[in-house]
Parts: sequence; C-alpha cells; structure tokens
Amino acid sequence: MASPRRDGPVWKPRAENQLLAHDLPRVDGPLKVSGRARYSHDVRLPGMLYGRLVCCPVPCAEVAVDLAGALKLPGVEAAVVVHEGTTRTVGQVVAAVAARTVEEAEDGARAVRLSIEELPWAVDREQALAPQAPAVTRRGNRRERGEDGDAEAVARALAESHAVVEATYSLPVQHHVCLETHGCVCDYRGGDEATIYASTQATFGIARDAARVLDIPARNVRTIVHHMGGGFGSKFSLDIHGRVACMLSKECSRPVHLLVDRSTEFHTGGNRSGSRQHLRGGVSAEGELTALEAEAEMFGGVGGGAVARMPYIYSVGRVHARRASVHTHTDSSRAMRAPGHPQASFAMESLVDELATAGGFDQVEFRKRNLADPVYHRQLDRVALEIGWPGHPHRSAPGDAEGIEAVGIGFGVSVWGGGGSADACECEVRIERDGGVTSSMGSQDLGTGVRTYLAAIVAEELGLELSAVEARLGDNRLPKANASGGSVTTGSAAPAIKDAAHEARVAFAEHLAEVLGVDTGSVTFDGGVVRAGKETLSWSAACETLPDEGLRARGVWREHLQASGVHGAQAARVRVDLETGRVRVEKMVCVQDQGLPLNRLALRSQINGGMIQALSYALLEERLIDPDLGLLLSDNLEDYKIAGSLEIPELVAIIDDDDERAAPIGMAEAVVIPGAAAIANAIHNACGVRLRHLPLTPTKVLEGLAARARGEEVR
Amino acid sequence: MKAFDYVEPSTLAEAVAALAKGGGRERIVALAGGQDLLSEMQDHLVEPGTVVSLNRIDGLAHVRSDAGGLSVGARASLAEVARDEGVRTGWTALAEAAASVGSPQIRSQATVGGNLCQRPRCIYYRNEHALCLKKGGQECFAEGGLNHANAILGGGPSFIVHPSDLAPALVALDATVRITGPEGGRVEVLEGLFTLPSEGEVTRETSLEPGELITSVEVPAPAAGVRSTYLKFQERASFDFALSSVALALGVVEGRINHARICLGGVAPVPWRCERTEQLLVGEAPGEELFARAALDALEEAEPLEHNGYKVPLTQGLLRKALRSLT
Ligand SMILES: Cc1cc2nc3c(=O)[nH]c(=O)nc-3n(C[C@H](O)[C@H](O)[C@H](O)COP(=O)(O)OP(=O)(O)OC[C@H]3O[C@@H](n4cnc5c(N)ncnc54)[C@H](O)[C@@H]3O)c2cc1C
Repeated sequence: MASPRRDGPVWKPRAENQLLAHDLPRVDGPLKVSGRARYSHDVRLPGMLYGRLVCCPVPCAEVAVDLAGALKLPGVEAAVVVHEGTTRTVGQVVAAVAARTVEEAEDGARAVRLSIEELPWAVDREQALAPQAPAVTRRGNRRERGEDGDAEAVARALAESHAVVEATYSLPVQHHVCLETHGCVCDYRGGDEATIYASTQATFGIARDAARVLDIPARNVRTIVHHMGGGFGSKFSLDIHGRVACMLSKECSRPVHLLVDRSTEFHTGGNRSGSRQHLRGGVSAEGELTALEAEAEMFGGVGGGAVARMPYIYSVGRVHARRASVHTHTDSSRAMRAPGHPQASFAMESLVDELATAGGFDQVEFRKRNLADPVYHRQLDRVALEIGWPGHPHRSAPGDAEGIEAVGIGFGVSVWGGGGSADACECEVRIERDGGVTSSMGSQDLGTGVRTYLAAIVAEELGLELSAVEARLGDNRLPKANASGGSVTTGSAAPAIKDAAHEARVAFAEHLAEVLGVDTGSVTFDGGVVRAGKETLSWSAACETLPDEGLRARGVWREHLQASGVHGAQAARVRVDLETGRVRVEKMVCVQDQGLPLNRLALRSQINGGMIQALSYALLEERLIDPDLGLLLSDNLEDYKIAGSLEIPELVAIIDDDDERAAPIGMAEAVVIPGAAAIANAIHNACGVRLRHLPLTPTKVLEGLAARARGEEVR
Repeated sequence: MKAFDYVEPSTLAEAVAALAKGGGRERIVALAGGQDLLSEMQDHLVEPGTVVSLNRIDGLAHVRSDAGGLSVGARASLAEVARDEGVRTGWTALAEAAASVGSPQIRSQATVGGNLCQRPRCIYYRNEHALCLKKGGQECFAEGGLNHANAILGGGPSFIVHPSDLAPALVALDATVRITGPEGGRVEVLEGLFTLPSEGEVTRETSLEPGELITSVEVPAPAAGVRSTYLKFQERASFDFALSSVALALGVVEGRINHARICLGGVAPVPWRCERTEQLLVGEAPGEELFARAALDALEEAEPLEHNGYKVPLTQGLLRKALRSLT
C-alpha cells in the first residue's frame, strides 16, 4: 500500500470542501467587534511610558534641538534628539520625549525648543520645477525614470489614426489612513532582551532594526503583532516611529508606548504618490487603439513615486512612454495597495473612454476589442450585465446634461500577480492528546483574514469544525513568514499551511493505523470523527491514543499549491445632480478571479473594501499643503475626507467561478485599481463632463457643466 | 491641551460671575457640550486658564413649544431639537438643520448655544502654526490660498464662513436670543448677534461681550401657511460642514407667496440673509422662472475667491431646490 505521504498535498476540487471555498466568518471577528482584540495600541505594561514625537513645522530648515525645557517638566522621564541639521520634509521628526502619561508627553514635546532657520522649500510641482527651485535631492528635482518605445513610430501612427485624444490626467497624493496609526510598544528594561509589540506588516523584518537601535543581539528581540489595524503598504519597516520608541526605551530602560497621533500619522506615515500624466492616444476607424504617447510625472515627495507602465493592460499598436519623478520637500511615498496601478488605471481607462467616445463606440465592446486576454471579455460582459449596461441609453455617447439629474455608467479593468514567494513561510500543526489542534505561523493578519484560513485549511484537512483549530500568528517565535504586501501572503502562506495540515493528517493516520492494526489508507477524517478500518472513533478518542507530547507536523511552501496572475473588471453607476454637482455613486460591481477561493466571505470583503477605498479616492481624498506657508493643512480626518457609511453604494462583489485554477492567488490589490476610473467614466457618461483630475468633487462637476453649457471643454 | 482650572457652578449668576473675572491675559471660557471647545483646546487655538462648565445649571436645557412659539434652552442638545415632534412640524428648518450636524455622537453632546457660538472651521484658522487674522495675526491666508471652502459673500478682511447649521435656520425663522451677562439680561434678534469681520472685532464672530451667555433661543410661531426647510450641501454626507446651505421659510396663500425668509449658510462670515430676494418673491406666483430669478438675485453680490466660484451655481441650485420643495 502506497504511503499517502508520497502523494503530496493537493487542493481538493471546490465542491468537495466542507469549509474552504465557503463563507467563513473570520475567527477573530467577535474579538474585534467586542473590543477584546488587543492591538499594539492597547498594550499596557508595568512602568510603561508614553512617547510623543516632535516634528519640525516647516518643510526645509536648519534645526537645532534643546531638550532641557522638556526634561524639567513633571512626568517626563526621557527625551532624545532624533535629527539635527537640515530637515527635508514637512513635519520631519526631530526629537521625542517619553513621560508617565500621554498628556505629560504632549506637554513635554511642546517644551522641546527648536531653533529653526528656514530654508527655501518646494512642496508642490510648480515650486519644484521653478527655475530657481531649491534642490530637493542631490540629483535635482526632476529625475527621468525610464523610457520605452519608439517616439517616431508613435507619431506616425497617431498621424494616421482616425481620431486622436490628447489630455492631461492627475491624481493627488493619497494617504493610507490606517485606523491604527504607526508605531509600537518597545519593552526594553535593560539587559540584552526586548519585546516589540508593533503595528506592522513585517513581524519578522522589524526585529533586526530594533536590535540595532537597542544594541542587543537580533535573536533576543521578540516581536508580537497579535492584531493589527491596517497597513495597506505603509508598515513594512520599524520606521522612524518604532526606532524612536526603541531609542526612548533604551534611554530609560523602561517600556515605551509610541503610537503616533493622527496629525503625525498624516505627516510621517507615508502616502500613495500623486501623478500627472500627459497622454496622446489614437484609434482606428475600426475601433483599435493605434498608438499611445505617454508622459508621466510621479510625485513621491523625497521618494520616487510610482506609476505602472503604459499602456496599462490594453493592447496598443505603438507605444512610447516616459516616466519621471518630481521631488518635493514632503514625506516619501510608500507602497500603497497596488502601488502605481490606480494612477495608471485612471489615466489609461479615462483615455480609452475618451477614444471610444471620439470614435462613437460602445464602451464595453470597445474595451473588449482592445483587451487581448479573453478573461477580461467574460468579466466585462458580466459586470456590464450586472450594472444594467444592456438597457442603458448612453452606450456610445454621453447623456446631454438636460434636466436636474443624470445617470451614467463607467468601466475599468485591473491586473495583478498575486503569486507567493518561494520558501518564505513555514507552518506547524500540533495535535494534542486532549484533542486540541493548533496551526501556527508567525505571519500577521492585516485584516485580510490570514488567521481564519490558518485554522480553516487545517480544519478542512482533519475533518473538523473551524472552531476546533486554534490559529496562532503574529509572533517571530513561531514558524517563519514573509512580510504581507503585494498580495503575496496567501500564495506564500497557504501552501505551507496546506502542507503542514497534510503532513499532520498523514502522520496521524499512520499512527492510528499502527495502534489499531489497520491499513493507513483506510484511515479517514471527516465530520469530527475518525474512521479506521471498521472502527469509528470520536476525534477526542483518537487523540487519546497519541503519546503525551501529541503530534507535530511541519509544512513548507510548495509551488504547485499556489498560482499567480489575476484580472478583474469593475463597473460603477452614478447619479449626478446637475444643479449642485453632487455625484452619488449608486452601485459598483466587481468580478474578480483568484483561483481557488479559500474563504468566499473574506474575498467578498476584500472586494468591497477595494471598491470603497477607490470610491473614497475618487470622490473625496486630497492632501492639502499650502505652498507659501509650507503647512500640511489636511492633517486631520475633518479636512482629509474619507468616505463614510453614507457614501457607500450598493456593492456587488462577484467571485469569478469561471476561473477554474485549483490553487489560491492573492487578489486584494487588484480590486482597488479600476474603481476611480470607472466612477470618472460614469460621470462623463451621465452628463458629458470629463473630469481628468481627482478628486471628482462637486466643484469640478459644476465647473465642467458650466464649461459645457458655454460650449467649451475644461482641461 | 494645556492644563486649566475647572469650575462647575450650579447657578447662572455664579457662572456669569466666574466668566466675568476673565479679561486681560487670563482667558476664562464657558463649556457646554465641548464639541468645539475641546478640539480648539487640543489644537492649542485657545488655552484658557479656567473653564466654566454650564452643565450643572438647571433650566437651560428645555425644548418647549406651544401656540405662542418655541423656546429652546441654550443647553438643549441638537439630538433633542432634531427629535422633538413640535420642532419637526412647526419649525422644520430648525429640526432639519440640527439633524444635519456632524454625526449622532456629536449631536447627542452638542448644544444649541455652543452651536451658535462655535468658532470657524477655516483650515488656516484651525492650524496652530498659521497665525492668521482670526488668531490675532496680520493676514487672512485663505484670501489668496486654499480657499475652496471660504466666503463668497461679506468677506474681508477675514474670509471665514460661519460654520453653524442652526444659525441660518433660526435666522430664517425670525429667532431672538436671550442673553445674560454681568450687566443683566437682554434680548437680541439672532441675526444681529453675528458680526462681519469688517464690522466687529475680527477675532470674534458675535457681539457677545466677555461674560455674556446665551440662555435660550425664542422662535415665534409660524404664520398660517408658512413652512420651512433647510438644505445643506456637504462634500461628505456625514461628519462634514456645509459648503453651502439654504434655510428657507415660505408662505403661499391662494397661489401667491405672502411670506419669504432666506438665509444662506457656508457662504459668508455670518448667516447671510437675502432680504431683497425675499421681497422679489413676495406677491408672486411660484414657478421655475421665478425660482431662477430669485436664485440669480440672491447671489448677485457674490465675489468668489480663486477656488470657490462653484459656490455661486451651487447655492443657486440649492435655493431653487428649496423653493421647489416648499411650493
Ligand atoms: C467632527 C465634527 C463635526 C461637526 N459638524 C458640524 C456640522 O455639520 N454643523 C455644525 O453646525 N456644527 C458642526 N460641528 C460643531 C458642533 O456642532 C458644534 O461645535 C456644537 O454644536 C457646539 O456645541 P457644544 O455644546 O459642544 O459647544 P462647546 O464646544 O461647549 O462650546 C463652543 C463655544 O461656544 C461657547 N458657548 C457654549 N455655550 C454657550 C452659551 N450658552 N453662551 C455663550 N457661549 C457659549 C463656548 O465657550 C465655546 O466657545 C461639528 C463638530 C465636530 C467635532
């Protein structure tokens, strides 16, 4: 009889699963909604101090720091200089204090004296590109980042095109707005060990940095991330906030809680880079995209910024594309959910929409004609049907903006990789004599549902209820895992979990076969009972046959247990109030593929979350910096507006079950990409106003309507 | 927030006496629901030495209506005002305005007096580091800056807009306020309480003297056939201030308008009454052509800044909608 071990693990066909490919409420849901989940913010330790950062209020200055005033205040136990000399970004961290209460720490931070000698700054594009602009980086304020294609071929193809559209599109800087702000609690009390409770996407990655600041061996730093309130790409490192927590803790050998306030978060927590893209595109009389000339500027502050490569997803005859970073004295951009993709999508999908209109084509048919991959065709047809496109009156020309309201529909598509990283994760499954089962991996759950499938994959394998398996994660003392970003977590973690589950099942079957004297192949696990030969044992009776130490199995990454490459299509329907410019998104639809859908409920949540984040970006979010004062004015949730529950439309999240790939793929980034473009296109479809600059505020709608009434076009 | 002394008097007289000790360098301020004051203190826009709570004083929290009119205590919560059946039927604009404020949590804590006396939301005023006119500085940064939310009417030298939703509704309903101060009590027409930056002290929005408190708001019963509404336009549907709003009270008898009060919010440093437009409406038969004329007339004096020209068509649109909804 062949040992099942040699067969290796495979994902079961979807229909054969009891848990996977079903709706699984997340296992930590009750903890989170009842407030019992302990986030890093909630950590309280004996003798703990609270840290506060001191930020330089001007973008660019020579700064000297005097801590004396702070150290004299009651309750202040430590103060450190973080940076002296030239500062380069609005709100750069220059010092920090730790005190017994948050209030004392705030008073202490205000008592730190800064001597500031202002230097000229550039906080927006105009300032950065002005002739006498101060240099933001040593290599200047505008840096070319690459060029592809043949400009002359494009020029020729454009000249021969049936219609050409030339336009500039722009997107503002967007913030991640994690509910839990950046930072950590550093528990160092002298000696050579420390524990870091962090809000991070990289439980394992931050230990080394903390060790360096604390000057202790990296192996002695334990990192804990039991619950974490969002990262979206902004929390891959220990960061300035965590480093300063460690500096303060080191300074006074006491635990320090340093999770920043909202204003500091807006100043120093990173962002999605803004961009400005100038495009010229051509279309043939038959409706084929003939040529594209694309010039993109990326506004990543002191960082490089990101815009995905053109032509984004669509097939275009000839393409010439250039990208450049324009630097300003503002916080560096970071990864943010699908870095660079929503920016490219907004410009490209808008241009495609404009070209379809110029040629008088149906928006859906035009897209299908210019998308090579047939998956997009079925996905576009599906969202079109769901949003009501077939009966919609304006399919190849926009509405006329007569009357008081107008309704329009718009589309966009997405793309992502979503495969796992080789050998990045391991998992341990333990079965105890008392029947307890744990599934452990050091990875972190950003809210994506890792904890749930960490338990569910094992429960499925052992024929148990989801609640019978305890998932353990968020701890660098558990089996290794990679940072969560780029939607790689599922492809990296799920194969190792599946492998460990499989190993555990096979080992348990072999053990039972030996104890009961039956064939290993006759041992099955299903419905909470174990069948072995003719015998049926309850799960706990089967576990009682184990030795005292129970059973342990280790799983590693296996390439065939994951896949990569996802698509996705979205549609939005909006209602535009022609008197006030109010845009009400009434409905959004997304069809998303992801191979094997591990947890359908979590997937639909990700899809909904992606659409909501895109809607918020499209309609509301905008960083406001006064160029003359150099002040970030939108450093709060009143002025940096994110969508609230009243903005949320009917959301239809459709898992693409026509995708028959048998292994899971990460998809959470794909779903945030096309929503903003779909909404902008829907506004145009409703009333003929083409908005090329996010956010799509009532202001711009009204200006567009006024221009349209005058027979002009707003650029 | 800077440390401060806190007192909780149990009578109005004690509160007024405690507040009247202010002046000079010592700032003493009144605390009602704290929805504005606390954030101002957190942001170090005010750093009072003493905070005088009004929350232990009896008799300031009523919402009472009868055939003679409506009386609302200064400490009545916005949630109660929004919920009150009498207010909803007789003074609909007030109920709608109260219901439009902030969020349920804010409305349950915020009071009517605090709402009328709240400070501006201008992004420059609210930033500690921007020492603007409103904070005793030399310049209104909004005038040549990021002014998309600022004034198109009555601006200069400061271009804030008055943030209160209740104020325009109450002005349109002909409200008066009872005021108590060190010198005794007085009654003011609410509209007269608010001062333009060009008229009064630029660092204040009302003519209340230090130590003076609003104790109640009195609203006459609407004449037969008069109905009212409050339309607020905000960028985000919850938790947001008005970019523009229209409070309208309108009476129609035998097919003709016989009473009109229009007050705009979010467009001027004070609730902006449109008397000429009211007169234009009275005596006319309602209809789209009239509404369009009224809308043009109401905004005729508008002088938009660089980024807020949209407020003109927006407010015109809101006024047309309001007129349509009451006829
Ligand atoms: C997130 C958020 C959203 C908001 N949205 C809106 C909105 O949409 N519309 C809107 O109108 N407001 C809004 N507000 C403001 C809020 O509604 C008002 O600030 C609130 O009504 C103030 O009432 P309060 O009782 O909390 O006043 P407090 O904060 O206690 O006091 C405000 C000011 O009034 C003074 N004051 C209080 N009572 C009296 C009195 N009886 N006599 C004289 N002076 C007095 C205080 O000294 C203080 O200066 C919002 C506030 C927040 C925080």
